[in-house]
Amino acid sequence: MIADLGRIALLLAFVASVYAVVIAVYYGLVRRDERWIASARNANIVIFPLILLSCTTLVISLVRGDFSLEYVWRVSSREMPTYLKVTALWGGQAGSLLFWNLLLAAFTALAMLRHWRREREHDLVPYALAVSTVTQIFFLGISNFVENPFLRLATPAVDGQGLNPLLRHPGMIIHPPMLYLGFTGFTIPYAFAMAALLSGKLDDTWIKLTRRWTLVAWLFLGLGLILGGRWAYDVLGWGGYWAWDPVENASLMPWLAGTAFLHSVMIQEKRNMFKIWNMFLVLLTYLLVIYGTFIVRSGVISSVHSFAQSAIGPLFFGFLGIMLISSFVLIVVRWERLKSHNQLESLLSREAAFLFNNFVFLGILFATFWGTNYPIISELFTNEKATVGPPFYEKVNGPLFALLVLLMGVAPLTMWYRTSLKRLGKMTRWPALAALLILVALFAFGVRSWVALLGYGLLAFAAIITILEFARGTQARMRKGESAWTAFVNLTARNRRRYGGYWIHMGVVIMGIGIIGSSVYQQETQVQLQAGESVALGDFTMTFRDVARFPGPDDLIITEATVDISRGGQFLKQLTPRTELYTRSGQPMTIPSARSSLTEDVYALLISWEPVTADRATFKLYVNPLINWVWAGGLIFILGTMVASWPDPEPRTQAVARRRRAVVATD
Amino acid sequence: MAETTWTNKDAALTPERGANRLKYVVGGILIFAALGFLIFNAMQDTTQLYVTVEEYYATPERFAGKDLRIAGYVMGDTIRFTQIDPKTTRLEFSVVDDLSSPGQMLTIVAMNEPMPDLLQHEAQALVEGHIEDGVFHANQGGLLLKCPTRYEEAAQLEG
Repeated sequence: MIADLGRIALLLAFVASVYAVVIAVYYGLVRRDERWIASARNANIVIFPLILLSCTTLVISLVRGDFSLEYVWRVSSREMPTYLKVTALWGGQAGSLLFWNLLLAAFTALAMLRHWRREREHDLVPYALAVSTVTQIFFLGISNFVENPFLRLATPAVDGQGLNPLLRHPGMIIHPPMLYLGFTGFTIPYAFAMAALLSGKLDDTWIKLTRRWTLVAWLFLGLGLILGGRWAYDVLGWGGYWAWDPVENASLMPWLAGTAFLHSVMIQEKRNMFKIWNMFLVLLTYLLVIYGTFIVRSGVISSVHSFAQSAIGPLFFGFLGIMLISSFVLIVVRWERLKSHNQLESLLSREAAFLFNNFVFLGILFATFWGTNYPIISELFTNEKATVGPPFYEKVNGPLFALLVLLMGVAPLTMWYRTSLKRLGKMTRWPALAALLILVALFAFGVRSWVALLGYGLLAFAAIITILEFARGTQARMRKGESAWTAFVNLTARNRRRYGGYWIHMGVVIMGIGIIGSSVYQQETQVQLQAGESVALGDFTMTFRDVARFPGPDDLIITEATVDISRGGQFLKQLTPRTELYTRSGQPMTIPSARSSLTEDVYALLISWEPVTADRATFKLYVNPLINWVWAGGLIFILGTMVASWPDPEPRTQAVARRRRAVVATD
Repeated sequence: MAETTWTNKDAALTPERGANRLKYVVGGILIFAALGFLIFNAMQDTTQLYVTVEEYYATPERFAGKDLRIAGYVMGDTIRFTQIDPKTTRLEFSVVDDLSSPGQMLTIVAMNEPMPDLLQHEAQALVEGHIEDGVFHANQGGLLLKCPTRYEEAAQLEG
């Protein structure tokens, strides 16, 4: 019954989206009737509460266990804990699409509420409304007519199949929402960019207006990527966090385009250049979001975690084509007016550095796109389906990432318009020398891998320059009379965009240290041990104590081994790698156990054991050096993005606050 | 706008701007060439042919010794995990193209690989490796499994 309410609300949301577009375009933009534009906007805003209602009814059905619904039967079961029943909302195709719709509606409704009353945005908003609602029509159409989560089974089931055990992990619970927020968020900058093209208001209003939206979308996408990596590391049990899988690439690609865009808009704001380029970048980011969703959901490229082959593939492809062609036509129509009169004055300038940065990001993007789609490309041209694996991406993207790190070091030292080679040389001389010393020290300590030496040298160079930037800024503030700490805090607080960016750079450096360490120096071994026996790996020794089998919550049977980790004869930690068997579904889960420290993780997996005597078991053991730097760097990266995207107080609220202070003072 | 350097349209015709443009065009071509080289170079030894079981049996000689990626569905009752000695494990299973009408089966052997959680009847396996004497030998870490189809199997729907 309650599910029917959700189904109706979902249908009404679709009707509202169609109404919003038709009214906005015909009455609003063709006939220029303000009242109708307001009506279209209201229709768009109402989509959010309707989908929220729809999601709520689905969650209620999941929690209550209404197994007459196919979706509920598919992704939940009676004995699943409540929090998993709630998060099963995005555990399957139909539900996750509904959830996707909810987030998209939240973003558009917020944008419509926030950008309505301001005079300068007035010309853009109706067009942005129409463009973003077109995206909503597409996704709501799919949710209503192709992947409806409210469809009923012919005969209601007594119990459901239960959520895929791989998805029963805290990382998996928050990773999809973050990724979806990132994906859907990029619709807003795209919609405003298209609005600029449609309305002919081609100045940088749309960029200023959407800068924060872009940063927020980018923040969530980054968070989604990092959490996804963490989930893979904790759950998938192969000792790694990134496999260049098509689905991973699908979320990395919009992030790469978005990162290029975030850097490139600064040139347009400062120098009024690269308008066409920025249009292409925002279009590219948006299309890659849709394309990424298409790859994940259509199963067009075989991958570990894509949802099963589905009929929605052709629909996505069609939508992608329509958006690509129409946006492209718009850019071409406005081409002449978008052309900049300014030009790059020197290859040694901030704008040139940003341009190189863009080229490198797009290079990585192109290589990743090429690799991901190679099965399709090769079949098209050679009639033979061929694929490329992780080594391909490492070989191509490795040098490009190295180049990015170098640019990350040099770019902050360049100035707008032009920088003299002499000045740049003077500023990079000492950091380069210090980086060289670090490199020599690493060599002296036995580092021989040229990948690690080059990588760490470049990271050291970028880190030193970034730290010097912080030091210079802090000193400048201290000269004005601030204490060292206040100056340091204010430096970031008062220049959030710039120093938030530098924090992000520091996060990248720290992640880089971890990525190089854990990929170049990972060690592994697999061995069967008798109780009491030990195996050595690197500096560590693992001693097998025993293995026990006992029932867990729900229908789980847990087999847990106890092993001691020691180094140089000194006991460090007891680990308990285990296997969980979901008896009803017959699905096993291998849960690694790790001893984490700043220098490395010792990561143990229980592979098999003797069920009868329980005194013999097989283990896989990894030593992952510096892996925790990846997560720590990720955290700094996210915090830096939050600093950079933190909203400035509204002029109005500032005035109100001043008035309040005045009132308090007079009291 | 005071800080913006204005160059009017006529200036576009001056040799200086032409030379400038040429510089960027050459630079752009160089960057693309470098990227093309990186990609071409990396593809030389990382490309694998992507084959199904039936495709393999149609022309087995074509794939002998080549780096391959095979895709197929796992036959649950063929999965064997054996401990040969303390240092060696052997995982063996067979895949087919279509579970509903299993034609020819291809045996896959993976040495010293943990038994993947998702390795069970009906799961789709993507395995990297090469074929020797009719047996597919998986590369280290070359075993990928997709969720069994039953998680997304077609249900009997109303209407």
